[in-house]
Amino acid sequence: MFRILKKSIKTGVVTGQHPAAQPAEGSTPEAREKARPFRRSLAVREVDTGSCNACEMEMNALANPIYDVERFGVHIAASPRHADALVVTGPVTFNMERALHDVYKQTPDPKIVIALGDCAVNCGVFKGSYGVTGPVDRHVPVDLRIPGCPPRPAEILKALEELRASRQSTEK
Amino acid sequence: MADASAAAALLKREFPEAIVGTASIHGTPWLRVRTNQVPLVVHYLHTKPDLRGSLSLLWAVDHRPREARYEVLYLFALAERRDWLLLSTDLSDEARLFKSITPHIHAAQWYEREIRDMFGLIPQGHPDLRRLIRHEHWPKGTHPLKKDFPWDRTLGRQQGDYRFRHIEGEGVFEVPVGPIHAGIIEPGHFRFSVAGEPIMQLEVRHFWKHRGIEKLFEQQRLADAVPLAERVSGDTTIGHSLAYCQAVETLLRVDVPRRARYLRSLFLELERLHNHLGDVGAICNDTAYALAHAHCGRMKERIMQLNDRVTGSRFLRDTMTVGGVTRDITAQQRGEIVDVLDQIEKDFSELESIIFANASLTDRLETTGVLTERIAWDHGVIGVVGRASGIDQDVRRDRPFAAYDEIRPKVALYRYGDVRARLRVRMDEIHDSIRLIREIRLKLPDGPTAGEPGHEPRPGDWALSAVEGWRGEILYFIMAGEDGRIHRCKVRDPSFVNWPAIQWAVVGNIIPDFPLINKSFNLSYAGNDL
Ligand code: SF4
Repeated sequence: MFRILKKSIKTGVVTGQHPAAQPAEGSTPEAREKARPFRRSLAVREVDTGSCNACEMEMNALANPIYDVERFGVHIAASPRHADALVVTGPVTFNMERALHDVYKQTPDPKIVIALGDCAVNCGVFKGSYGVTGPVDRHVPVDLRIPGCPPRPAEILKALEELRASRQSTEK
Repeated sequence: MADASAAAALLKREFPEAIVGTASIHGTPWLRVRTNQVPLVVHYLHTKPDLRGSLSLLWAVDHRPREARYEVLYLFALAERRDWLLLSTDLSDEARLFKSITPHIHAAQWYEREIRDMFGLIPQGHPDLRRLIRHEHWPKGTHPLKKDFPWDRTLGRQQGDYRFRHIEGEGVFEVPVGPIHAGIIEPGHFRFSVAGEPIMQLEVRHFWKHRGIEKLFEQQRLADAVPLAERVSGDTTIGHSLAYCQAVETLLRVDVPRRARYLRSLFLELERLHNHLGDVGAICNDTAYALAHAHCGRMKERIMQLNDRVTGSRFLRDTMTVGGVTRDITAQQRGEIVDVLDQIEKDFSELESIIFANASLTDRLETTGVLTERIAWDHGVIGVVGRASGIDQDVRRDRPFAAYDEIRPKVALYRYGDVRARLRVRMDEIHDSIRLIREIRLKLPDGPTAGEPGHEPRPGDWALSAVEGWRGEILYFIMAGEDGRIHRCKVRDPSFVNWPAIQWAVVGNIIPDFPLINKSFNLSYAGNDL
């Protein structure tokens, strides 16, 4: 017990110890309007439709003590039925197409769909393959795109923050 | 103990009828075997006590348009020295049957189903001919790796259902999980049959993420496909891109400078470090020990930020190139890397003692998800999972690549095959990787960081390469096509071999322990599904 406390005291607070992100590509006013109800709390369900797993790892990194996304009221929901937003990664494979449609249907309205990573935005290096039917916006309407291969966690945070910022702070 | 050429000579003596040709390519003896006699020969090779050949890779090549034939190839590693021995058999264009070796060698089961799906060649005598990669909604007759199948074809849909293996009886019920899971992980489907608490059977159904990577490789030129290799399994960026580069370098006869070899080892060990740290944390988290998870997440993040500072990518992307590496690491950066790792090693050692002082944690780990050495051997299990079950195999030692002929890893080996053993292997490897990186810093030679190609490969030339990624042995087979293009690229992530084994490791455990067991394997879905 003593050892654990000592370790915690020695480590201190690490939250926020990361390089700043490049300015995010702005979200559209419609998307910001849609995100209005979720300013204080946003439950996110992540759907992998054939990514290389790097985008997932960066989503997971958001939950580590350095980024600690929960402090912004963002939490990861275990089921689409509890989610306000779907974060979709990957180029939508032929085998995952149906699962994506199902998840979209199961997520209650109002909902936001976020395409995370180049794959989700434009199929990336997998574009054109017989096994790929994406990108994501061919299957479900997308509100926010976060490009990058993969986008850094700080960039994801920034994009989410920008999406959910109140009008005053975006204007200033 | 036999080396590969002695083994080849022995096989030729024993089966003069069956073997129709011999050759040796890049030091690997190669025997051509009559199609009907393949099972006989491989059975001998697999079971003879002083050969103990284990199947490393099984794949097919469509030689059209150059020649109207298919070829099925079998790569074996001989047990003692882990030398490679290659067998192959030709199938004419019309004959679409080959003899299954699965009844003799368990490890062949997924490979043969894969060949059937991708080439439409049928493994006669295979006990399980259900589809593997092409889920049931794929139309009949779509075999993507046949040369007459266009890479960008739009597939239609048909109706069909996968037939799971059922156990029937009083009180037996099925629990389906996936493909979409509760955490942020990749898609895969698991179907448990349980009676009460204990799992009687698990069936893994994967390939949801099949993106057609091997076909995409065939659209590229040898020198250009590194970015695709990096994205086979994003967490293994270096492992896959290095294995790809090595195979191409053998084809192009590039001499990779020593400095580049050292830097490759450096990047590979950094990748091993951040992944193993993440896994140690995740295993603890699945026993609800969030404290260790938080500490490991913090250390992992430090390494990823370090990667970002020295290479411009948290996943070390764009560092490998055919012929060497794209970026040099300055003396100052090397100092920074070692400084950070010194701190992390101390930090991590403290955490280790906290973890093992916690009896309620270790109690969850011990005797959970045991994979016995026998089952591991039968499935040809490799990598971290294999070493935790007594399979003494590590490409860095057995077939040194990059700088591992001069900086030698200590192979972590445990025998119990439970979650704890897999955790221990990772912990030992974290310390060893840090030691290797210190050694690289001291020994790094001066010189250029990339070599020039010295040769144009002829169509039909091929090369094999192996890399010990953080999960285990990654294999690439690359065959050159016309004017510098890729004719065939077979990718084998260690996950493909280890997934079937997890079905055995969970038997007798309870479902709540499955996430823990799965995490302790931590296999890739993307690298498996291709
Ligand atoms: S965008 Fe890049 S990192 Fe993300 S899944 Fe696609 S290939 Fe991987």
